[in-house]
Amino acid sequence: MRIIIAGFGTVGQGFAEVLHNKADMLPVKVVAAFDSKSYAADSNGLDPLALVERKKRTGAVGDHGLTGGTDVMDDVDYDVLVEVSPTNIEDGGAGLRHIEHALKRGKDVITVNKGPLALKFRELSRLAEKKKALLRFEGSVGGAMPIINLCRENLKGERVRSIRGIFNGTCNFILSRMDNGLPFEQALKEAQQLGYAESDPTYDIEGIDAACKVVILANSIFRRNVTFSDVSITGITSVSAEAIALAADRGMVIRLIGEVSDKTLEVSPRLVPKGHPLSISGTLNTARILTDLAGPITVSGKGAGRIETASAILSDLMAIMDRRR
Amino acid sequence: MVNADIFVKDVPGQLVGSLEPISLVDGNIVGVVHNRENVVNGRIGVNITFEIGSAEDLEKLKAIWKGKDILISQISSVIETFPMEYVLIGDIGPAQIEKLIGNAEKTVALESVDVRFSSRTSDKKRTAMISAHVRSEDDLRKLNVFMISACRKANIVCIRSVS
Repeated sequence: MRIIIAGFGTVGQGFAEVLHNKADMLPVKVVAAFDSKSYAADSNGLDPLALVERKKRTGAVGDHGLTGGTDVMDDVDYDVLVEVSPTNIEDGGAGLRHIEHALKRGKDVITVNKGPLALKFRELSRLAEKKKALLRFEGSVGGAMPIINLCRENLKGERVRSIRGIFNGTCNFILSRMDNGLPFEQALKEAQQLGYAESDPTYDIEGIDAACKVVILANSIFRRNVTFSDVSITGITSVSAEAIALAADRGMVIRLIGEVSDKTLEVSPRLVPKGHPLSISGTLNTARILTDLAGPITVSGKGAGRIETASAILSDLMAIMDRRR
Repeated sequence: MVNADIFVKDVPGQLVGSLEPISLVDGNIVGVVHNRENVVNGRIGVNITFEIGSAEDLEKLKAIWKGKDILISQISSVIETFPMEYVLIGDIGPAQIEKLIGNAEKTVALESVDVRFSSRTSDKKRTAMISAHVRSEDDLRKLNVFMISACRKANIVCIRSVS
């Protein structure tokens, strides 16, 4: 199976490392990889580890200047596009163009890029269906935490009534530190120093990242036709130390909860009783899936991280390999 | 919510001894009427209203009372209530909260309401916590809709509990 890796940042590099480490079980060739300014291509296959080393050494994945990712995709024969370029929630950015380009040509796509999925899920799904291509995106919600394929494949006979979860590890870390008495600003600074939050943390703390994930869950599991603008979003910037203290007096903590059902589409800070599955601390993601037959099912895992997210991409890749066998 | 008439021996410490078991089963005492005029066979009548988590907890309480030689004259059926908590953050004071609760009661019957305030902080923002009990899940939904809408209009951040 021949793959192109579109985007060679943290996740792209992590996935390349995983391909190298699992080479014995994966009959896969990386025939091209590109980042925002360069590309490397070889129809005989590139060495994934060499790509990572080159990227670390020079800041570029390849020798050739990139005019456009779709040009590379036109020049190389491939089976699967692994789209891991940065999220753009304004218009989907290059990630959306890459995915559309691949699907139009009947190529299978794996992505963790939330922007295109949060903005154009229905269009992309229909395009994939029309072209008999597979579109998989497990890593787009919850990183290593299995949720999309769990609901769509393992819980196939169930009716999922609702999903509530912690879908942003950065916010959860900040709120957990506030439980220990840190003011919001200090907890944010600590998250930034530890690499959990970006220098511009807006996407995380304003609930935008979690809202993208809620949209993806709504469309893919609840078969709704919603987009980012349909989500009721409240971030965590207004959560005060006094609110945390009042909650603690009643045996509760405050967590940023994403909630999806047939009628609900919301991201907001919520009061959660201590000991409840959604009261977890730190950077973990967790989701409580309420089903009609099995009742509540709770999953948790690392919501971010290069290797963790790569594990979700790997599971999608292996699923595609099974289908195309 | 449970209402019970019990009879305790007319000796010091018996009243407290009859109330303590309610806390032991995580109950919440709402009201106590100690009726010294209602004396039967040397025992004094006490009417207690309390919240309790489940019928199972109520059975445990009855067993404890029996073990303490407390006679149960009548016990009403358990009324299940649904708790909901809200933390409100904004430029809010007791008068506004009172008005908010008053308007909420026009929408849905509240079984009980408890309000706590934080001390006012330097940036004029104040935090309050409202704990309410309603009679049904439908009432809970109505209360949520009301609170979210009212707080949005008043520019108050409303953090509600996961029900």
